[in-house]
Amino acid sequence: MTMTAQTASLATPVSKSLRRKRIRGSSIAVLVFLAMWAAFVSIPLYVVIVTSFKTMDQVALGQVFALPTEWTFEPWRKAWSEVCAGMTCEGVSHGFWVSMKILFPSLLISIGISSVTGYALALWKIRWAGTFLFILFLCAFVPFQIIMIPLVVLISSLGIFGTIWAVAIVHSVLAMPLLTLIFRNFYKDVPEELINAAIMDCGSFWRIFFEIILPMSANIMIVVLILMITTVWNDYLIGLVFGGVGTQPMTVILANTVITSFGEVQYNVDMAAALLTAIPPLIVYFAVGKFFVQGITAGAIKG
Amino acid sequence: MAIRWSWASPRIALIPALTVTAVAFLGAICWTIWISFTRSRRFPDYAINLAEWTRQYERLFRDNAWETALKNVLILAIGSALAIVFGFILAAMIEREKRGEGFFRTLFLYPLAVSFIVTGIVWRWMFNPDLGIQNFLRGLGWESANFNWLADPQTAMYGIILASIWHGLGFYMALMLAGLKSINSEIWSAARLDGVSFWRLYIEIIIPMLKFTFLTCAILLSLGVVKTYDIVLAMTGGGPGTSTWTPAYFVINSYAARGNIGYASSAAVMMLLMTAALFLPLVLATAWQARRREAMAQ
Repeated sequence: MTMTAQTASLATPVSKSLRRKRIRGSSIAVLVFLAMWAAFVSIPLYVVIVTSFKTMDQVALGQVFALPTEWTFEPWRKAWSEVCAGMTCEGVSHGFWVSMKILFPSLLISIGISSVTGYALALWKIRWAGTFLFILFLCAFVPFQIIMIPLVVLISSLGIFGTIWAVAIVHSVLAMPLLTLIFRNFYKDVPEELINAAIMDCGSFWRIFFEIILPMSANIMIVVLILMITTVWNDYLIGLVFGGVGTQPMTVILANTVITSFGEVQYNVDMAAALLTAIPPLIVYFAVGKFFVQGITAGAIKG
Repeated sequence: MAIRWSWASPRIALIPALTVTAVAFLGAICWTIWISFTRSRRFPDYAINLAEWTRQYERLFRDNAWETALKNVLILAIGSALAIVFGFILAAMIEREKRGEGFFRTLFLYPLAVSFIVTGIVWRWMFNPDLGIQNFLRGLGWESANFNWLADPQTAMYGIILASIWHGLGFYMALMLAGLKSINSEIWSAARLDGVSFWRLYIEIIIPMLKFTFLTCAILLSLGVVKTYDIVLAMTGGGPGTSTWTPAYFVINSYAARGNIGYASSAAVMMLLMTAALFLPLVLATAWQARRREAMAQ
């Protein structure tokens, strides 16, 4: 990746003066076309942001693109702490904290299991490792609906149905195949000499993992973390099916607020609630966008 | 002792993953397949009546809602395929233009960080007939503008397609951009020296070189389409009527609203079969790609 970028930047100065003159017109056309798509992509975000700062009186005028005549934070406050989702009226803040509580155990369990499994499959000679990887590869693409009902039965029999742990465990189970493949693909490129030397030196599976492998996995850890944070945070179905009253994540609360609300619809509050739900993954995206791209492409291709 | 221990630990470390795979994936799939042949309703009933073991499937294929769901999945797949086409065009333009590459890439990709629920809610607001885009267009003087797609069974799916394209466009663009960057830069300069026209360069050289990327995109798209649930729920709730049901929506509805586990399982098994049918090409393509890479390395 960096190699091609470097060669490209080395090559451009030579051809730049020549190319600039010739394709000026088409260059403008291209930029106009890109700008149009950029507008298509950004208009919904713009509309949602301005709506969330309008008063309901202004929203009722029906000018979606107009800026708020009177900026108000009231919809945001209501969305955070007052808005009703079904029977309870405590805003989306409760869902926010539930989502946080689901997130951390999910990350810990899934990354813990998958990194160790990926390491064992990549660097230790294990019979049937290839077969197991192939099965994991197939599992990574299984639609959730086919295993949903048996998981409900299983989780109920463990007596944790409807708790935060149920949601976190199901997230970890579902993520395990893909994450294991990502870790395995990363660890298989660790130089063999290094591992052989380490085995000669101490030979302990766990010591090699904690002292050599983990310290060199910072990059892949960030990629996997981003992948998991966005998946868990944005999930709706698992939270809906496995979460109980009071343990439903933010997306479920949001959907209940917007879709099954009674009485007069407060669009500005709905939009503020939607933004509040979308902000955490967006922060992750804008803060570490480069790794985000790596994460999704790793999730897509190497899976 | 030390050697024996180093033999045992990697195998012990694999136990959790093996258990999860065996129980939560393979076991669960077998359970669902088994239940789909039974008469289970609210609670699992493990007895299979051999005289009418395909009962749930026979009911399923007579169900109009299931037929709608299958039709919708097809419409959605064809419609969302535009995301791949536009994703490629955008990637090609960004790659060619270079100026503003980082900016456009960041902008096109941000919807992917937004959940389907939020995407659906946002677009539902845009489609609002009284306060959304339609009202805006009419205010500009286009009196007959009709943007109230979600209220009409004929057009509701197009609304969902539009929102899906908005959400997925950047993803396919990123994959295509990665594919374009992996093309040897000598090809571009060679084509320029030979005076190959712009269109011929793309149609005859670049697109054939990216056929594996296109195939990956197509398969990922169709796997995603089969699983479509959240965005439908957030935009239309399956309605009007059952006009925007998808197979995934059908399964959840049979399970949660109708409380019929056997019926939901049979629909889930059909989803698995669809996924398998889409998945086979991916496996074959990956094997083919790996073989080609080996051949090139030699």
